Amino acid sequence: MKPKLQARMAALSFSEKIKVLEKLRDREKAIAAAGLRRNGEKTPRKS
Amino acid sequence: MRETLEVINRMQADGVIGEYAIGGAVGATFYLAPAATADLDLFVTLPGQTGLLVSLSPIYEYLRSRGCTEQDEYIVIGDWPVQFLTPRNSLHEEAVAQAVATNVEGVPTRVISAEHLVAIALETGRAKDHTRILQFLEQQAVDRDRLKGIVERYGLSAKWNRFEQRFLKGQQ
Repeated sequence: MKPKLQARMAALSFSEKIKVLEKLRDREKAIAAAGLRRNGEKTPRKS
Repeated sequence: MRETLEVINRMQADGVIGEYAIGGAVGATFYLAPAATADLDLFVTLPGQTGLLVSLSPIYEYLRSRGCTEQDEYIVIGDWPVQFLTPRNSLHEEAVAQAVATNVEGVPTRVISAEHLVAIALETGRAKDHTRILQFLEQQAVDRDRLKGIVERYGLSAKWNRFEQRFLKGQQ
């Protein structure tokens, strides 16, 4: 994170920071779920 | 988080837990820029239980009866997996006793002080703990004199010196 953005984020209220945390957490969950789906997909057989 | 803290506060009002304070990455977020985390670490005192052998059963029974479900070492309250930690030494006890009062969307709560979070991270000593200490120092979110006092009081000076040698050499 760039220092300017980092300072801006650090200055947010705790409630606002928690909202950011929840967004980050949900995004990571979605990425992990997408990865699992891809791993679970059957790859087409070569003929 | 609002719902999670409301349940925890109700559990405290019902006498299941005593004082509590948020630690870990969520606690650090009170002082630093937010960094991704999936769980909430909660230090709690348990009324009527002292010594090293403490049981979290009353907490789990209370929460299970309110529909919360267990997930590995966590119990999911609202949409947050929560890990309950009981103070296992006097550093942790002081961290809970001296926690900072705040609120999340109007719901009152308490967060471990920046200096105690750093001291606990130093005590735990994993790579991610060292990263967090560096974040506190880089973002100047810690009172160095207060931290020094805690480090000395709880016998962490040797660990701090090693940390300084390894990560801060030439930076001060």
